[in-house]
Amino acid sequence: MVTEGSLHLNGARVKRGGRFILDIDQLEIPAGTFVGIVGTNGAGKTTLLKVCCGLVRPTAGSVMLGDAHLHTISSWRRTHLRRYIGYIPQQAEYNAELPFTVREVVAMGRASIRGMLRRLNRHDYKLVDEWIERLGLGEQVVQTFASLSGGEQQKVIIARAMVQQPTILMLDEPGSSLDFNWKFELSRIVETLFQETHTTVVMVSHETNLLPPVCQRVVLLHRGRVLADGDADEVLNSEMLAQAYECKVRMVEIAGRRYTVVEEGQ
Amino acid sequence: MDPFFYLVIIAGAIAGASTGLLGVYMVGMRMPLIGPCISHAAMAGAVFGTLIGLNPTTGAVIASVVTAACLTPIKPGRLRLDTNVGLAILFFLLLGLTFLGMGLMPGSRSEVLGLLWGSILFVRTETVFTIAGLSLLLLGFVAAFNKELKAILFSRSLAAMTGLHESFLYCVFLGLSGAILAVNLKLVGGLMIFSLITNPAAAAYQVCTGYRAVVAFSVLFGVLSAVGGFVVSFYLNLPTGACIVIVSTLIFAFAAAYRAFSNYRG
Repeated sequence: MVTEGSLHLNGARVKRGGRFILDIDQLEIPAGTFVGIVGTNGAGKTTLLKVCCGLVRPTAGSVMLGDAHLHTISSWRRTHLRRYIGYIPQQAEYNAELPFTVREVVAMGRASIRGMLRRLNRHDYKLVDEWIERLGLGEQVVQTFASLSGGEQQKVIIARAMVQQPTILMLDEPGSSLDFNWKFELSRIVETLFQETHTTVVMVSHETNLLPPVCQRVVLLHRGRVLADGDADEVLNSEMLAQAYECKVRMVEIAGRRYTVVEEGQ
Repeated sequence: MDPFFYLVIIAGAIAGASTGLLGVYMVGMRMPLIGPCISHAAMAGAVFGTLIGLNPTTGAVIASVVTAACLTPIKPGRLRLDTNVGLAILFFLLLGLTFLGMGLMPGSRSEVLGLLWGSILFVRTETVFTIAGLSLLLLGFVAAFNKELKAILFSRSLAAMTGLHESFLYCVFLGLSGAILAVNLKLVGGLMIFSLITNPAAAAYQVCTGYRAVVAFSVLFGVLSAVGGFVVSFYLNLPTGACIVIVSTLIFAFAAAYRAFSNYRG
C-alpha cells in the first residue's frame, strides 16, 4: 500500500524505434510537493507520467512509487497501487457514445477505491456529487456523457480522478480542451486541492501560466532528458526556455503566474 | 398446449436474457467481432468434438473458452492496425476450421449442419438446466462486479489507469461468454447466435439513458427476440436462428426509428 505519494526515478530509460524517448538519470519527487513538467512536443512528458504510473515499462532503470518498485512487483500489485494515483491523461480512449450519465462516469472513479465485491455507498456518492458541483457540472448531472462538449467531458474525467482521493495526482495537459476561463478555474482547483490536502501533484502543461503559484519546482524536459530541474524562477526563464524551444521567448509574471511570450522575427 | 412448447418458451427466454446481458458489454466495448470469434470458435469446437467422438457441446465449450482467454490481451492500440482487423483474421480462421472439420466428417453431416442453423428440436430439459445454470453464473458475475464492468465498458484504458483489475475481469467475462454461446449453439445456431447478442443490446443503446436502463432493456429485447423467434419457428416449422435474426432485427429497426423520431422532435 502506498502511504506517501513520493516518486523516485533512477536511470529510467524508455527506448522506442531505436531511440531513447525518455532518459532520466535521477528524478526525485518527494511526497506533498507540487512539480510542474514542461517541455517541447516529443520531449517525453507524457511518457514520463506513464512510466510513473506503471503504464509504460522502462527499458532500463527503476521507478519507485512510495516504497514500491513499480516495475518489479507483480502486475496484480501494480494495478492495485494505481488506485492511489489520480491520472488524467491528455487523450483517453473512451466509448463516449454510450449513454452513461455524468454522475455514473464520475462514480467510476470510486470503483477501485471501494474494492471488489463492494457496492458504492452514500459516502462515495456524496464525494461524487461534491466534485460534480465543484467542477461546475451540477446542471449536467443527469445528462449523458456523449451529449457534453469536449471541455465538459474533460471536466468529467477530472472529477472522476478527483473522487479517487489520490495520494498522487498526475495531470497531463489537463486544460487542453477547456476554454481559458475553465483552464484557470482548473488550475485554481488543483492549487486549492494541493493546499488543502498536500497531495503530491505532478502537472504537465505547455502553458506555463497554468502552473499555479504554489508550483515552486519545475522540471524542463528536452528530447527525453532533464534539461533543468529546480526552482520555478530558475527554470522558467528566457534563456532556459529559448534553449529548449529553440526560439526567443520572454517571460512575463502577472499575479504569481508566468506567461510565455514568443518574440517574433526569430 | 404441448409441454414441449413451454420448454421451448423457457429455453428461449433464458437464452435471450443471457445473450441480451452479454450484448450490453460486447456491443458497448466497440469490439463487435469478439462475439462472432467466440461463437465461431464454439462451432469449430463442436465440429471437431463430433469428429473425434466427443459430445459437441463439450467441444464447443472448450474451444470457445480457450479462444476467449486468447482474446483477452487484444485491446485498442496494441496492433498497428485496427483491433477489429486482428479479430477478423481470427474470425475467418475459425470459420475455415469449421468448414475443414465438416469436410473431414465421414457420413451424414446433418447434426453439424444443425449447429450452423440451430433447431428447437434440440431443446431438452437438461439443455434448459445447463443454459439456466450458466446464465445464473453470468448474472452473479455481473451483479458482483457491476461497478468494475461499468468502468471497463466505458474505457478499458481508464479502468486500468484507476487501478481496476480489468484484464482479469475481462478474461473471466469472455470465458463466461464463451461457455454461454457454446451451450446456446444448438438452439440458435452458430451462424446466427451473434445477432441475439448484437441486436437487443444495439436496440437498448438506441432508446435508453443510463447503464441500468440499458441492461434492463437489452435483457428484455433479448427475451422478446428469442421467444418470438422460437414461437415463429415452432408454428411455421422454420429454422430457429433465421426466425430469431428477423425478430431481433425488427426490434432494432423500431428502436432506431424511435431514436430518429426523438432526435427529430428535439
